Amino acid sequence: MNEWRQKNPLEWNKYVNKEVRVTASDKQQHQGWVYTVDPVSASVVLVDFQSTRKASVAVVMGHAVGEVEVLRDGDEAMAERLSAVFVPGGRQVLSQ
Amino acid sequence: TISAFSESGTDSCSLRDEQRTRSVLRERYLRSLIAMSQKQVWFNMHERVRVEAKFGASDIDVLNFQVSDLQTPLGIQKEALIRCPDVISYSFEL
Amino acid sequence: VSWSGAVPPSERPGERRGAEMKKLYGEEAAKIQGMETAMQLTFDRNCDRKQPKYWPVIPLKL
Repeated sequence: MNEWRQKNPLEWNKYVNKEVRVTASDKQQHQGWVYTVDPVSASVVLVDFQSTRKASVAVVMGHAVGEVEVLRDGDEAMAERLSAVFVPGGRQVLSQ
Repeated sequence: TISAFSESGTDSCSLRDEQRTRSVLRERYLRSLIAMSQKQVWFNMHERVRVEAKFGASDIDVLNFQVSDLQTPLGIQKEALIRCPDVISYSFEL
Repeated sequence: VSWSGAVPPSERPGERRGAEMKKLYGEEAAKIQGMETAMQLTFDRNCDRKQPKYWPVIPLKL
């Protein structure tokens, strides 16, 4: 069990809406904005907005998460953009 | 499986905070899985194995991914289950 | 409610899972459980219908 999986939801939540670089156990690095960390598997969901319309998503499985480096904080606009990314139609607001 | 539950917060307010946060994080993850269905997904697995498949569904404990048209190094497997512990990362486009 | 099963009511797995969900997710437990159930149903239905086989046959990581 790695250190990342031991964290509690409040700790994982600190990474949400931030741009991070995750080093996975195969040494591959993934960069993107954290949409969520699954509290069951500790997997990190990263979104990378390359163009205005498309987004690519990379998920590092919790058991394979090595170093997580925070690159920058997201602003309100980024938080909103992220919260809409997996919602059909992109308009709905997630319930809190 | 669900294990890391901090009992340290005897204060019911911080417990509620933790529950609410866990709910938002989990709901978001489930949404990402739903968004992935019928999409082409690339899997980076242990032993430098890289495969591509059309995603179907995951079980709730995130132990198995059900996929179709899995492109293995030895050809296409029409229907397959991928063990999540074999997977290091996966990616897809929205 | 009559109870005829071999398992005493206090140990019904569904109920235990409900209690665990409540402890983890609090007021949102029903909503999360609903989403999870839908996801698991899709998984089970697809597995029934498509009969997928594990790939690779032997786990890469034990």
